Amino acid sequence: MPDLITDLITDAELVRRFPGQPLSHDSAAHYRGRLARKLLINRCAACGTWHHAPQPICPACWSTDVVPTEVAGTGTIHLAVFLHQGPPAEGVDYSTPYPVVTVELDEQPGLRFTGTVVGSPNEAVAIGKRVTLDWIDRAGTPVPAFRLVESSAS
Amino acid sequence: MISSRNPAKNLVAIAGAATTGFSSKNTPRSQASYAAEACTAVIRACGLQAGDIDGIVGTNPSAAEVQAMLGIPEVTFFANPPIPVGNHMAAAVAAVHSGQCDTVLVYHASYRLPWNTASALKDPFRGLGPSMAGPGPDTVGGVVGYTAWAARYMYEFGVPKETFGRIAINDRSNAVHNPAAAMRTPMTMDDYLSARMIRWPLCLLDMDVPVDGADAFIITTTERARDLALPPVLVNAVTLGMIDKNEEDQTPSLRHHGHQVVVNNLRAKSDFWTDGCDLYYAYDGFTPITLNWLENAGWCGPGEAGAFIESNWDAAGSRIMINGRVPLNSHGGALSEGGTQGSGYIREAVHQLQGLAGDRQVAGARTALLTLGGFFFNAQGLTLVRD
Repeated sequence: MPDLITDLITDAELVRRFPGQPLSHDSAAHYRGRLARKLLINRCAACGTWHHAPQPICPACWSTDVVPTEVAGTGTIHLAVFLHQGPPAEGVDYSTPYPVVTVELDEQPGLRFTGTVVGSPNEAVAIGKRVTLDWIDRAGTPVPAFRLVESSAS
Repeated sequence: MISSRNPAKNLVAIAGAATTGFSSKNTPRSQASYAAEACTAVIRACGLQAGDIDGIVGTNPSAAEVQAMLGIPEVTFFANPPIPVGNHMAAAVAAVHSGQCDTVLVYHASYRLPWNTASALKDPFRGLGPSMAGPGPDTVGGVVGYTAWAARYMYEFGVPKETFGRIAINDRSNAVHNPAAAMRTPMTMDDYLSARMIRWPLCLLDMDVPVDGADAFIITTTERARDLALPPVLVNAVTLGMIDKNEEDQTPSLRHHGHQVVVNNLRAKSDFWTDGCDLYYAYDGFTPITLNWLENAGWCGPGEAGAFIESNWDAAGSRIMINGRVPLNSHGGALSEGGTQGSGYIREAVHQLQGLAGDRQVAGARTALLTLGGFFFNAQGLTLVRD
């Protein structure tokens, strides 16, 4: 995504904005995308296979032409946890258990991304529900999250 | 590739095992002091001396630190594998069989640290070391992974929480008879169901106990072990197992992860399987791991662990006795003996096969099947036989 204004952010600034995250030359584009509220997932330009977390090579065909590519952000909850305690994070006190879901993205079977759920009570969050990408702000940095799709069958 | 090729079969032995016992409270001791106690105990129990050891395998303290601490003059092999301790056994067996060394000291020291219990920080020395800055709560990586897949297991098979509780109760009932265990007060289903929720669907009693303590082992050729002080326990087979998609949230399914690789490879290399084992050990760092090992090892079908446990439940002993004769985690597992990252199961199996298991002794036990580790990057297994 060479047109992103966030490409202008230096590597050092990126490290400062994402403390504790697994930043490297392989994942930097994904995190720059977050600053623009775009969820970029690596896709192989040679064979079309998606993979996550970001790697320097396509695990399916070994092409190194892997391109951080924006996904639609839609998918289905595959795993779900509610944290009654957890690491300190701005805006999270765990007095209401903090939902964390792994979403199987529509782009490819088995391609998954993990984040919290916003906009619904925990009782409504369950494996099998349809979701779409949303964003929350934490200490001024966008964090990818999901929102239940209203028409989702329970 | 999955293969029956196993040139080391029964040619390498565990000559002895020792433990310090485990405490679920901070003790005024270092991790190294537990390693030293267990290592010197097992070397002495085998009738060996420091100069007889030419291989060292352990994680923390490092092999180099243990060599210096114990004054082991020279080694020709050492390794510092990641936990669980099946990794250590696999390295030691390979090193002995290939001739890189003859007699390996394997140890594992468990230690209460901030990563596994916040109360470790009551001891200021335990807060030193690398910073633990993590990525925040929006992940199922690390310890959260098993909770996430526990939820998936409940979703796919309609499993109630009580099924997880059976594993915790079984292990506690066995730990009552194990003087090395940290948790020895019997547990009821009410105790289990009222335990503090940590990460739904798993509560405090679904997770292993952070402990201080250590186990140690001597691995050598079977030929040499027969000349030592204790009955040799032969390594029939050992394997590790991992698949490509081994990150917690990318793991394909409950039926496609490291467990299946371990089961297929260990079964191909071993002389016996579930039908022929007298002792069974299944990892219980988290209760869902044990339920899935029961199913993946073939004791029962997918989603059937709950029914399997019910039909093999010894009500009088409040524990699992498979076919009325094979206990599960006879020492109490990581859930009640303490979180030993694998060493406790192996030590207990060795003691059982040597006839040294005290009140827990399974009469005439000759074979043990151990399926250790979790789903993602740490599945492993061993088959052990009495000489």
